[in-house]
Amino acid sequence: MPPLDSVLAGFADAFTLFNLLFVVAGVAMGQLVGAIPGIGPVMAMAIAIPFTFTLDTLPAVSFLVGIMKGGLFGGAIPAVLINTPGTPDAAATTFDGHPLAAKGKPLKATKMALYSSVTGDAFSDMVLILASAPIAVIALKLGPVEVCALMIFAFAVIAGLVGDSLIKGLIAALLGLLLATVQLDPEQATPRFDFGYFQLYDGVNLVAVAVGMLAVAEIVRRMAEHDGRPQPAAVPQSEEPGARGVSWREYWGCRWTMLRGALIGTGLGALPGLGSTAAAFMSYASAKRGDPGGVPFGEGNLRGIAATESANSAVMGANLIPLLGIGIPGSVSAALLISAFVIHGIQPGPLMFRTQPELVYGIFGAMLMANLCNLIVGQLSLRAWSAAVKAPASFIFPAALIFCIAGVYLSSGGLFGVSIMLIAAAVSLTLTAVGIPVIVLLITFFLGRRFETSLSQALTILDGDPRALTAHPVALILLVGALATGVWMARRR
Amino acid sequence: MKKLLLGLGALAFSAGTALADWSPSGPINLWIGFGAGGETDTLGRLVAQEMSDATGWDIVVENKPGGGGMAMFTQLAAYPADGQTLGMGVTMPVLVNLTIRPDEVPFDLDSFDYIGTVALAQLALVAPADAPYDDLAGLIEYSKEKGGALVAFDAKPQELLMGVVNAQSEAGFKMVTTESSAEALQNLLGGHVDAAFNAGAHIPYLESGELKMIASANASRHSYAPDTGTVREAGYDIYVDPWFYIAAPDGLPEETHTALSEALNNALQSDAVRDAIEKTMHTEPADMGPAETKAMMEDGLKNVGSLFGQ
Repeated sequence: MPPLDSVLAGFADAFTLFNLLFVVAGVAMGQLVGAIPGIGPVMAMAIAIPFTFTLDTLPAVSFLVGIMKGGLFGGAIPAVLINTPGTPDAAATTFDGHPLAAKGKPLKATKMALYSSVTGDAFSDMVLILASAPIAVIALKLGPVEVCALMIFAFAVIAGLVGDSLIKGLIAALLGLLLATVQLDPEQATPRFDFGYFQLYDGVNLVAVAVGMLAVAEIVRRMAEHDGRPQPAAVPQSEEPGARGVSWREYWGCRWTMLRGALIGTGLGALPGLGSTAAAFMSYASAKRGDPGGVPFGEGNLRGIAATESANSAVMGANLIPLLGIGIPGSVSAALLISAFVIHGIQPGPLMFRTQPELVYGIFGAMLMANLCNLIVGQLSLRAWSAAVKAPASFIFPAALIFCIAGVYLSSGGLFGVSIMLIAAAVSLTLTAVGIPVIVLLITFFLGRRFETSLSQALTILDGDPRALTAHPVALILLVGALATGVWMARRR
Repeated sequence: MKKLLLGLGALAFSAGTALADWSPSGPINLWIGFGAGGETDTLGRLVAQEMSDATGWDIVVENKPGGGGMAMFTQLAAYPADGQTLGMGVTMPVLVNLTIRPDEVPFDLDSFDYIGTVALAQLALVAPADAPYDDLAGLIEYSKEKGGALVAFDAKPQELLMGVVNAQSEAGFKMVTTESSAEALQNLLGGHVDAAFNAGAHIPYLESGELKMIASANASRHSYAPDTGTVREAGYDIYVDPWFYIAAPDGLPEETHTALSEALNNALQSDAVRDAIEKTMHTEPADMGPAETKAMMEDGLKNVGSLFGQ
């Protein structure tokens, strides 16, 4: 634990009006882009990163954290209102959110989503704040061999958990690793797969690939599927008592569901690479196995909403545990956050607790603030976002596409990045069409470079001799765990 | 009225010529061979700001990342030599590429006119404070006993330098690649490697007494550790000198070249630049001037050649 005075100084840095302004702006932006299907916080972050360059580190990161957190809840709004998740994480929110809205209670459903999202998020933040300093101390003891084993374990779980088949998950994971090999190799600095482009010496630009595969592909898909008809009209709000809000009793009745969701989200989030979508589905499935309360699941059960929203939001805070602990990103947004850190000349990792304790606790303070802002901004602007959900596609998609191009142009230093983005979008559409989970590809791509480096480090340290692993029991346990997970996942399907 | 305008015009003209014999015909582009943020970018933007404040020139900074500056210099070499376009980069990646794949690189050292240097990164070899060795000779001895000490590095030339030491001393160092100097430091503090290269981030740990400096990998000793010898002093005729420098396409008119070099030199005298260089790189601004910079590049190429054993 860093000295208390730097912890307090960090929180004091965070709780300023200036910073609050950026947090509120970030949260509002995150909720808005989350609420509009087809664009999401990943795109918003990618576009915002070059603009945060002129800011100090803390307001810059606060703003980005605000976007991440706002997006956590924003995605639930269209899921409830028009049965279309605004972000992939909110897919499971449609199961019970939309039926409840169809019963004339859209406000009740969105508010439940908001409260459980904030609850899950708060839980996860607490775990992050309390656990990350001790974890950073332990993480320093984790050498390259252990980190390498941890990543193999994470890959096994990701490939098995996401998507509809283990084989397709593995294909996606390997494609991501293959894409990560485009760069100078970490040992000999020999250019690989550069096809004569110097721009590829540093690897394929991360922001360009993320925006292309997630945002542009989604925009193109929605444009292609758009049939010219206006969005389905949302069901009118019924005026009967209890239809507009969530009572304390109803909220409290979901406490175990939310706690379970928060635990699942935090647990999965702490493992590098596992996204909030997986957490939301897992939490929903386990809530379904439990006691449904009054209404069956799938027909507008508040617990169904609570389960998914608490879980997908709990992922975000926990995602920063591997980022701050070992310096590897837990998700696509965390990877973007790393690139923002690097822009400000900071290398995330356990040493941050030593060299920049104020900044770390400043970020924690900003996260708590963002959480509260999520609640307040969400309460105040629900109606505005509901209107945004109904914004005409003919306006939203072209505008979003221009933002994608501008954002990638700025952050990747030119049109080369834009071409990469367009290629990535085409690849993403093709892979999705054959059922290969693009998100797995992205995660292994982000982790690929780091994985290759730790593999090379591990081989040097072990002298290439697998028997030397016996001196690294933690790594051994993780490798056995990876194998067991693979076998278990394959059997379960 | 007409007289007044004429007078003002003459005044403006003479003020312009008093500063320098050349002035740009529009905004000057300063290209940075690395992404936004990071050392080169931070330094470049500061220098551009100072140059612009002092001369009144409009200097636009643009990031052109890729291949440690190779993408930027490739483009720069093809631009007209009118002083309107400059590039800032680091020597090491350029010299390494010119050494190992000269046929693929579309430029050479003569493709540029050198405006000057900005600073020299001070590269140190460091070890945990409680390690049983205090200098390079001790580390070599330890490595022989242990059957290969682990040394973390984050750039190719550092590995090559230790390769030269290995070849001469048969120390048997095992080189561990890392992605950043922070990661190298992390592995050193975690006890996973025996020594590591670092260019500044290690200084707080020297002060806190957790690390000690084994050797300077530069041609000379470091300003903050004048008592620690260099690798060359230990008897290995090799060094790594990563200079930050600014260049323009070859063929600048004489007065343009002089005006730009003077503007750079003046900018480096400012307190703001000095502070920034001390803060980000733990070293001092150092401008060698155009001729010396060119000579440094040529010597550097020879030195990198010997790093690669060519």
